[in-house]
Parts: sequence; C-alpha cells; structure tokens
Amino acid sequence: MGNHKNEAYSRLGMWLFLLSEILLFGGLFILYSVYRFQNAQIFHLAAEALNRPIGTINTIVLLTSSLTMALSIYFLKMEKPRRSLFFLFSTVALGVLFLINKSVEWSIKFHHGVYPNAPRLLERERGEILFYGLYYSMTGLHALHVLVGIGILSGVGLWMMRGRIHHKHVLPLENSGLYWHLVDIIWVFLFPLFYLIT
Amino acid sequence: MSSFYEERGRFKGIFGWIFSTDHKRIGLLYLLAILSFYAVGVFLGFLMRLELIAPGPTFMRPQTYNALFTLHGVIMIFLFVIPGIPAIFGNFFLPIQIGAKDVAFPRINLLSWWIYMAGAALAILSLFTGGGPIDTGWTFYVPYSLRTPVNVSLAVLGVFILGFSSILTGINFVTTTHQLRAPGMTWFRLPLFVWGIYATAWIQILVTPVVGITLLLTLMERLVGVGIFDPAKGGDPLLYQHLFWIYSHPAVYIMILPAMGIISEIIPVFARRTIFGYKAIAFSSLAIAIVGSFVWGHHMFVSGQSDLASVIFSLLTFLVAVPSGVKVFNWVSTLYKGSIEVAPPLLFSLTFIFLFSIGGLTGLFQGALATDVHLHDTYWVVGHFHYVIFGGTAFAIFGALHYWFPKMFGRMYHKKIPYLAWALLFVGFNTLYFPMLLLGWEGMPRRYFDYLPQFHTLQFVSTVGSWILIAGLILMFGNLIHALFKGQKAEDNPWGGATLEWQISSPPPTENFYEIPRVERGPYEYSK
Amino acid sequence: MRTYTLVWLSLVILTGVAVSTAGMDWGRWSLGITLFIAFVKSGLILNYFMHLKDEKQIKWIRWLIPGILAILVLFMGLTFLDIAFR
Repeated sequence: MGNHKNEAYSRLGMWLFLLSEILLFGGLFILYSVYRFQNAQIFHLAAEALNRPIGTINTIVLLTSSLTMALSIYFLKMEKPRRSLFFLFSTVALGVLFLINKSVEWSIKFHHGVYPNAPRLLERERGEILFYGLYYSMTGLHALHVLVGIGILSGVGLWMMRGRIHHKHVLPLENSGLYWHLVDIIWVFLFPLFYLIT
Repeated sequence: MSSFYEERGRFKGIFGWIFSTDHKRIGLLYLLAILSFYAVGVFLGFLMRLELIAPGPTFMRPQTYNALFTLHGVIMIFLFVIPGIPAIFGNFFLPIQIGAKDVAFPRINLLSWWIYMAGAALAILSLFTGGGPIDTGWTFYVPYSLRTPVNVSLAVLGVFILGFSSILTGINFVTTTHQLRAPGMTWFRLPLFVWGIYATAWIQILVTPVVGITLLLTLMERLVGVGIFDPAKGGDPLLYQHLFWIYSHPAVYIMILPAMGIISEIIPVFARRTIFGYKAIAFSSLAIAIVGSFVWGHHMFVSGQSDLASVIFSLLTFLVAVPSGVKVFNWVSTLYKGSIEVAPPLLFSLTFIFLFSIGGLTGLFQGALATDVHLHDTYWVVGHFHYVIFGGTAFAIFGALHYWFPKMFGRMYHKKIPYLAWALLFVGFNTLYFPMLLLGWEGMPRRYFDYLPQFHTLQFVSTVGSWILIAGLILMFGNLIHALFKGQKAEDNPWGGATLEWQISSPPPTENFYEIPRVERGPYEYSK
Repeated sequence: MRTYTLVWLSLVILTGVAVSTAGMDWGRWSLGITLFIAFVKSGLILNYFMHLKDEKQIKWIRWLIPGILAILVLFMGLTFLDIAFR
C-alpha cells in the first residue's frame, strides 16, 4: 500500500514539474505570438529560408522516440527488461539523431551568416532579426532539454542494467518518460510555428 | 523524549544539518540564511537613508546609490520576502500541521535549500566581478539592463537559479498537502496557515518559470545578442515588462498569502475563539492567487501600454482587493467578543492588520488610472510597498517568530522585551515610511540620488525613523537570540493552541509524531 | 502495444497532413489549421503515451493540462489587449 501511494506522489510531483516547463516555454510562445502578429509578412518570408525537410525528419525522429519510450516502459512492466532496455537506448539514439540534425541545420545557417548578432543579420529587417532571435532561443532551449533528457535516460538505462529499476520499481523510468514526452510535445508546436508558416 | 536536534543518521556535526532531509532542520537552515540576508538588506537600507538625509551628495557617489537601491531590492525581494515564510515556517510546520512525518519529497527539499544558497552566492559574486554591482533597479528593465556595463549577467543568472528553489518548494508543498494529510484531516479541517502556503505553492510553480525565461533571455541578449527585447533589433521593451510583471505581481502574493495565513493562525488562539468565516478565508486565499495572476499591467500604466489594457488591468486590480478585504473583516470579527490576550504574537498580528490596511488603501490610489499618472515612480509607491511588504509580511514574520519560537527551540523568550521592541518598531516604521507617502504625493521621484530642497524636512524625518526602526529590530532579535541560548525551557503548548504542532513536544521529535494522529476536530476549537 | 503503434502511425500521418496543408493557401485559416493539428497530436501523446486518460489514483491530474492552457491563453490575451490596441 505504501508503495502505491509513493508512486502517486512521485507522479504528481513530476506532472507539476512539467507544468512549470510548459510555462517556461509559454513565455517564449507569448513572445512569438506578439512578434508574429506585428511582423506577419516578414515571418512568412523568413520561414522559407528554414530547412523544411530536416525539420520534418526531426519531427518524425522525435515522434518515433516517444513511441520507443512508451514501449520501453511497457516492456519493463511486462517483465521483459532486455527488450525494455533496447527500446530505451533506441530512444536515446533517436534523441542524439535529433541533435545531430539540429546542429547540421544550425551550422548551415551559421555558414550563411545568419546567427544572433551576425553583421549580415543585423542589416536585414527588424522583423527578420526577431524571427531568428525567436528561432534560436526556442529551438535552442528545446535542444537543451533534449540533451538533458538524453542524459537522464542514459542514467536510467545504467540503473536498469544494475537492477535498481525493474518491473516492481518502474517509477523512475515512467517519470523520465513523462519528461521525454513533454519535450516531444513542445517540438510538436515548434515545428509548425517555424517551419510551416508559409 | 528526544528532539530533532539530537544527532541521528549518517552525518555528524554541521554535515548533519546541511545534508539533512528533515524538514525541520531545513526550515532552520533557511531561517539562518534568510535572516542573515535580511540583516544585509536592512544595512543597505540604512546606508541609503543616510545618504538621503540631506540634498546633494552626502557621502557617496550617484553610481553607488544606484547600486545600493538595486541590491537592497534584489536581496530583500529574492532572498528574504519571496522565500521567507514558505521556506522557514512552511517547511517547519506544514508537515506537522497536516499530521505528516515530513514533506512528500524530502531530498528535493534539501536540494531546494542548496539551490537557494547557490543562487544567493552567484548574486553576491556579481557584486565583486564583471563590471561590478548592478545598478538597474531590482526590475532589470531593458534596454538599460542590456547596455549597462555592470555585472547584470551574473546577477540575473543568480536570480534565475533562485527561481528553481521556489518552483521545487512549490511542487513539494502542493504534493504534500494533497497526499500526506493524516486520517481525518479533511481540507476544511486544515489550519488556515496551510491554506495560505498551499495557494502560494501553486503560484510558485506556475509563474516563476515566466520570470525565469525572461531573465534567461536577458542573459542571452547580453551574452550573444539574440535580439528579443532590444529595441535596436526590433524588440519591444514593453514585452519585457509584461513578462517580468506576469511573475513579479503574483510574486507579491507569494509574499503576502503565507503572511495572511500566519495572522489567521494567531488571532483565534489569542482571542480564544474559533476563526470567523473559515471557508471564506480559505477560498479568499485561492481567489487572491487566481485573480492576482491577471493584474500585472497595473505596473505599466504609464509605460506606453494601450489604454484598453490599462482600463482592464485597473478593473481587475480593484477586484483583487475584495478577497483581501474579506480576510481583514473576518480577522476583526474573530476578535469581537473574544477573550483577548495581547501576547507578543497577537501584538504583531494586530500591527500587521493596521499597517497592511494602510498599504492596501494606498494601493487603491495606484490602481486608479488617473491618480497613478501622478503617483507612478514617486515615493508614494515606495511608501505603499513598504507598508504592505514590511508592515505586512515582515511583521507577520515577527509575529510567527514570537508564536512558534517555543515550539521550534524549546525555550521561551523574555516576555516583556517584545513590547518595548514593538514600540520602537512601530514608531520607527511609521516615521520612516509615512513621510514617503507625503513626499510622493508632492512629486518626489523614486530611485533618485538627489532631491529639491523642499523635500528635505520629510527626508530628514524619514531617515531618523530608520534609526528608531533599526534599534527596534536589534532589540527584538537580540531578545530572541538571547533566549535561544539562555531562555527558560518552554512547555509543549504555552499558548493553548489547538493545531497539531501544539500537541507534540517542544521542540518536536525527529519524526514529528510517534503515531500518525487521527484528526477529529477543526483547528480552532478551544472548548473542551 | 498495438495501441502505441496505432497512435504513432496517426502522429506520423498528421505530420504529413500538416506539411502538405502548409504548401496550400488557406489564407486566414492556415494558423488555425496547423495549431489544431498540433493540439490533436499533443492530445494523443498526452492521453496515450503519457497515460493521462488512464490516471486512476489522482484523478484531477487530467485537469492540469486544460488548466495550464487556460492560463496561457489568458496571459496571451491580456498581453494582446496592449499589443493590438496601441
């Protein structure tokens, strides 16, 4: 009985933490909505310069990582730890793939002289500077969360290998999963707002 | 009977404290840190008042003055009043008052304290590194905060980290209140202090991240030039103000709701009557938390915000005054026909009601658009917020210290000295801050190093008030610190309180309760 | 397990829909459509991957998400009272 109750607290605590993350990004979404409202045309044009194929691939990558995450938890509860571990590390690998894509995307942009405070960027319209300011801040903060997620999931994976997480103690895996899914949801919103507004 | 002070667990000596997950020890760790920072903040205020005793430079340069008022604000707000009551008394008493052995996440509780100390350390480090002490005001408004060469970056990073401490504490307290109540401890049998802490915890979770992102973006602007708030890059400085105040207005409710909870605790005990309108007070805490989250634009009436926004925010601001009024009415009604004993806790609570009411009423002048145009950024505002925050929250802290001292430390303080200290505090406080209302009314701007000769008399009076006030603080804290070492041993229930903390020993045992209690009556029932 | 795969498939399909509609001109409705699809996708992730609809022990957790959305909408709305009417 005690264990069930402890799990409930832990889950509640995790959801409350996720709420705070939503508000963290929420502030950025508010900024985005204001600046887009004020610079609608320029945002349209600037978005065309973003690499939609890479963005779409990244979306699929992250969605798939959510699937593998859910499957990892499912298999652990089914007392199949090896399968669970396989899916957990797949999640990590997909996360790494996402970050690799992102860095490729960013380095292409940097190469074209489009980065915060770049002289070429500063010459352009104010709205475009704002677009990229928001783009780098929001995808950057998101990428940071992906990186942290990779770290957490790897740590959880190590614990699983040492037997500290198992079918009777799934909680850390579940809570990490909740975090990972939220990171996915945030991207679900970022993707259309930056890549699909043409 | 052993108390929680006795050594237990893996760590010895000081490590048994700074690595402890016992909510009572963590509460005391916060007490020491927070009161130390308060002392620093008071000292900075003392220096400011000394400079302002006469027009023109008295003993410092304008840049120094700017740094002083900025630091005074940052320390008082982020290191004292916002963490204040939740971190000290919430940590110590929330679990006990609901009949639990600890909070839901004791290790995260310890982490919160460490994060608080780390944030404070960074903020202090910013004084001595980079470009030196910040001079932007505690509000860090852009574009000045983007351009000024002082160490805004480190200070802002420190405050950002402090925010995590607040968020984690909020998560801990919401979960604890929902999940760890003892059998029979229904929501409407909870002490009103718990309701106050609970409502506050929601605000901590929900709005702190907004200032977090705002400060993070400001940091990024300075480091990398992202261009979100910078008008030179198309940014809107008013957006900074919106995001900043979306947090910072509810932050004042983080400051006052727990304080109001304390008053609701103390008054029934010393009037020996159950609280008037329990549910109204409980729900008013929630109402203040909710409505108060949507009034932030009243800080921006003269900023260039649209008239429509100003009108709506003004309306909402007047609305949020209603639940506060409900509380004051209910407290006074509790006293009516009560068997009143004006012990020190009650004295400070009554003073809270008086000073907070003055502060609240002056707030109405600011909430009205037309009068705010004249009063914004004048000394009136400075008077207003010191009446509500100092006269409000800090006096509630003084009351809480005198109320819960015997329980926390197992000793009683000398009971006559608080009255003398109170007299000094009361006279000093009003002498210091009432002139500010007059100065502001007559047009003296705030955050000014120098002023016109016509303001000299009131400024002089105000400075003298600060000396009287500080004398009172020294006497009051001196008495308590003395009692810590030499005070008489206290009984378990010196005030005859009916809430759970008074049913256990003073100081409490490590696990609070040898057996989780079964609760069968409300928190303020004094008849046997 | 099958549910998870079906949810994933729906998510991928919805992504495809979103990308293709972006190429077309829906005028004022484009923002609405893309956001709508994003909300549907999030709803699927929240309810199925994060098991929000199965939460039995603390039933009110499911209200946290609509609650937070309401708060964000209000924050945005009040901010726009300024931005849109200057």
